Amino acid sequence: MILNFLNMSGYGLYIWLSYAFTALSLISLYYVSVKKLNSIKNIEHLYQSEKIEKVSVPAQATKF
Amino acid sequence: MFGIFKPRTFFNLANTSIFWLKIILAFALIVGLILALVFSPIDYLQKDTVRIMYVHVPSSWISLFIFLIIGISSFISLIFKVRVFSVYAKSLAPIGLVFSLISVVTGSLWGYPTWGTFWSWDGRLTSMFALVLTYILYVYLWSFIKNYNLAEKITNIVGIVGLINIPIIKFSVAWWNTLHQPASITLTAAPTIHSSMLAPLLIMFFSFCILSLIIFLIRYKYEIINFRVNKK
Repeated sequence: MILNFLNMSGYGLYIWLSYAFTALSLISLYYVSVKKLNSIKNIEHLYQSEKIEKVSVPAQATKF
Repeated sequence: MFGIFKPRTFFNLANTSIFWLKIILAFALIVGLILALVFSPIDYLQKDTVRIMYVHVPSSWISLFIFLIIGISSFISLIFKVRVFSVYAKSLAPIGLVFSLISVVTGSLWGYPTWGTFWSWDGRLTSMFALVLTYILYVYLWSFIKNYNLAEKITNIVGIVGLINIPIIKFSVAWWNTLHQPASITLTAAPTIHSSMLAPLLIMFFSFCILSLIIFLIRYKYEIINFRVNKK
């Protein structure tokens, strides 16, 4: 029964290739998009911490 | 006039809605795939190959619809100088590109057992191929041109010029004698396919729409943060 389902009356290769290509393309697109967003979020955090450091350094310097 | 489209609207939407959209997507995709692969009837001419329709047709619709939005956004961005519209277009372009590629590849895989060939340079297939090339050009220009203002202007022009291809794709099956079958579903007439095939088709279309929206919100968020970081 499972073999019949996979065989799809002899057209299984075309059907499963279509679904596999679709799934692979969409998963890759999603993965790349999430990865890009996470990387830019990290950069933004770095910028923010750099900004805080820039503000705090002169304040500390005045103590010495 | 375009106040509702301000960057914060979609940025907040991205923060709050992605989780719920993922749940809706999972549910719709499971139902859609079960209906498409198990319960949908076999076509009397095309046999089981008709199941390719459930990924091919929604992908084609979405790729056309996304380019329509890109074209309109490019027009608004170029004429009214509302920058956020070019950010919408830029975020949507890779999604449209992937769906147009899926449409062409699954169409070829459907074409071989049905027509006896993977490819033919007829009206529908050629115009769809032109859409893929337009998408590639659009995405490439954004990554190739480093000056943001120049990239924005050129891609806006590409988006507007590319709009010409949309009615050509839509009406190619009526204007020319092609291998591709005419549309079974139109906005103006009742669908010519049975409800047992229409239901999985519409559910798969809905799933792909939700997935496109999720990816768009992620990419839009990326573009806004990227813009902010580059400004610093």
